[in-house]
Amino acid sequence: MNGHGHADNIEIAHGVSPMKTILLLEDLPEIRAWLRKLVLEVFPGAQLSESARVHDAIELVKAIKFDLALIDLGLPDGSGVDVVTQLRDVQPEAQSVVVTIHDDDEHLFPALQAGAFGYILKEQPRELITEQLHRISQGEPPLSPSIARRVMAYFSVKTKPQPAANAVPIVSLTERESEVLLRVAKGYTLPEIGVQLGLSRHTIADYVKQIYRKLNVSSRAEVALEAQRMGLFG
Amino acid sequence: MRHSVILALVSWLVLLALPAVAQTLDIRGAIAAPGDGPAFPAGAPAVQVTLPDEWARTRPGFAGTLWYRVRFESAAALERGGLPALYIAEVCSNLEVHLNGQLVQSGGRMTEPLTDNCNRPQLVALPPALLRPGFNDLDLRVAGHELAEVGSRRRAGRLSALAIGPQSALAARHARLEALQVGAPQALGATLLLLGGFMVWLGFIQHSKGHLAWFGALSVGWALFDVRLWLRNSPLGHAATEILYCALLGLVAWAAVQFLLRHAGVRYKPVNVLLPLQCALLPLSLLLVGAQNLRTVAAVWYGILALEVVVAAAVWHRLKGGRTEQPLAVMLAATAVAGVIAFAAQWSGALPVAAQLAQLVVPILLVLTGLHLVQRQGHALQPAAQDRLLLEQRVREATAEIEHDFRQLAELRVEQVTERERKRIAADLHDDLGAKLLTIVHTSDSERISTLAREALEEMRLSVRGLTGKPVRLADALGDWRAEVVSRLAQAGIEGEWVAPEDLPQTLSARAYVQTTRILREATSNIIKHSGASLCSVTASIADGDFQLVVQDNGDGISNEIDQRLDRGHGLASMKNRAKQLQGQCLVESGTGYGTVIRLTVPLDRAIEGS
Repeated sequence: MNGHGHADNIEIAHGVSPMKTILLLEDLPEIRAWLRKLVLEVFPGAQLSESARVHDAIELVKAIKFDLALIDLGLPDGSGVDVVTQLRDVQPEAQSVVVTIHDDDEHLFPALQAGAFGYILKEQPRELITEQLHRISQGEPPLSPSIARRVMAYFSVKTKPQPAANAVPIVSLTERESEVLLRVAKGYTLPEIGVQLGLSRHTIADYVKQIYRKLNVSSRAEVALEAQRMGLFG
Repeated sequence: MRHSVILALVSWLVLLALPAVAQTLDIRGAIAAPGDGPAFPAGAPAVQVTLPDEWARTRPGFAGTLWYRVRFESAAALERGGLPALYIAEVCSNLEVHLNGQLVQSGGRMTEPLTDNCNRPQLVALPPALLRPGFNDLDLRVAGHELAEVGSRRRAGRLSALAIGPQSALAARHARLEALQVGAPQALGATLLLLGGFMVWLGFIQHSKGHLAWFGALSVGWALFDVRLWLRNSPLGHAATEILYCALLGLVAWAAVQFLLRHAGVRYKPVNVLLPLQCALLPLSLLLVGAQNLRTVAAVWYGILALEVVVAAAVWHRLKGGRTEQPLAVMLAATAVAGVIAFAAQWSGALPVAAQLAQLVVPILLVLTGLHLVQRQGHALQPAAQDRLLLEQRVREATAEIEHDFRQLAELRVEQVTERERKRIAADLHDDLGAKLLTIVHTSDSERISTLAREALEEMRLSVRGLTGKPVRLADALGDWRAEVVSRLAQAGIEGEWVAPEDLPQTLSARAYVQTTRILREATSNIIKHSGASLCSVTASIADGDFQLVVQDNGDGISNEIDQRLDRGHGLASMKNRAKQLQGQCLVESGTGYGTVIRLTVPLDRAIEGS
């Protein structure tokens, strides 16, 4: 592992924010207030809808069209993953981002499988969160090495030969996507990977988005297959 | 008048014989007269007889008491040899000895039931006080049975040749014969009884080895024939004793037949019934025909029993006559031959030496055969014992395996429970304590309190994950650290350089991972906030089982003033503390204008490192 990190000038789009309507799901009032302040700083003029419960959030998702949803996982009446799933079903173009205190992939991975587009750890310093939000808004979701390893493990299990009876369209990663994933797992930043592979930063970001999407699609296929096996769809 | 003539003749014979054997007088002739009285019947018709005198030949049909008179001259030579004595090799069944009309020896009861002295040589001291100079009369009163009344000729009435001489000279002959006819058979009989009893017990406790029990019974039966050597005065009377003796032979034959059949591995139901029936029938028939015909009927029975044993032996030979049984076959055959000789000789009375030898040889052969069988049994037990040992070992192995599996299962369950509990505690802590700390992190105006709360949050994670968490692969840890450090440096506009070996197989304990993460995070923060550096390099390496991390910057270095300021914010001191907690080391080298080098050494996860 040998490389040079480059100072990375983030192009913060001043002026009109791409995220106009934002859902904020957080049960702790203080944290919600802090989050609200932070979001408004990053996306000035955005329309915020706040909720403290899964149930309310799902109602909001049905009523309002969101560009971005910041979703806490552990809530009094359930898991934020349900809201992620609901958003993915109802508003596929909305970007769900998990904002949580849980840093372990046991909590994060199900949310990513459900369709979350990255995650933010709550206790991180303010400036780091700000940066991550910017990147998300520009279509560059965060991907930590530990999550990358988990995704690699997930797809390496999936590509193992399966019985023909269970033949469903197998979602697999392309060579390039795997390459990007492997480098992320080793701790390289996306700009570094772009330099290493001779690709633009946007292309790398597209690969990451594609990886998230495939994770979601594959997980859904898996769920459907499981349901089929259980006889839910005949 | 006739008496005197005969006695004179006998005396002459005695005188003639005297010089032949030094000091010892062999007497081969006497006059005999039947009589129940207490003394030689003076008036009864006396006949001259030669000794040995077998009643079955000389006076068939005679039973009762018979007087023998021998006249001898008390020679000076005889008296010089010490205490004179009379030696009688054989007398059946019993006798009294009178010297010059005085009773000097009685062998026991002279009326029915007679004392049985048939096998015992007699040595009678002749008191010198009773000896007269010149001729002395020695009267022997012999009580015996007629041949027809006994099952064996050796138990019929008779008197062997006599010898008169010094007791010291005759005692040796007496002892020799007694050892041969009494001592040795008694010893062998006792041995046979013990061995037979043992084999009966052996066959009894091991049902599959029934032949041993039957051989034991055969041995015990044979040993019982010698009872008359121990028990001279039968409490039952002569006829009953004779019948019992013959019946005993029936039992012996029964045992022999059953032994042969069992050993050959066959069981004939009819035989199991017929043989005991025969054993009951034998004495019954003898009882019915009466004492006078005992010998004849017994002879018939002997024939039948011998035939049965022969047939059983033939069956045995046909089924088991292989090479492996050859020693046994030879021994059995020898036993049978000796037994037949013994019985034939006893019954007929011919070949007394053969009878004596056979009488000794049969128990010896039986003992040898018994030992052979027991030894074979022992050999047969050996594989069985080995099998049992093997089985025991298998059982032990299986038990150990079960215990091991059980232990593993228990450990697994403990692990599962621990894992579940850990998750529950983690969830509780995150939801409650975590949320509160988080609130402080993001709502506090004080940077110091924010940092403290963030550290507390990490400390909480450490206690949840670090203490029970799984070890972290060093390669994964380096990935995590690189991503964090490089992106933070990049964000701060500092050029980052990261040098680390690829694909390290070593692991760090969860605690070491978390603490190292925090030290590295602190170091990075210090560089970003205080150093003013434009370049930072992080070098990871493995040395002597330790993980080494060197963080170097080209900044201003840490002046005393900055040092104090940093330590107020739990900077360098806490980094050193954390390293110490991990049994590691954190060295800070710095000089104003020369940048800062932080060398961190952390021991690797020992359990995994070795593999």
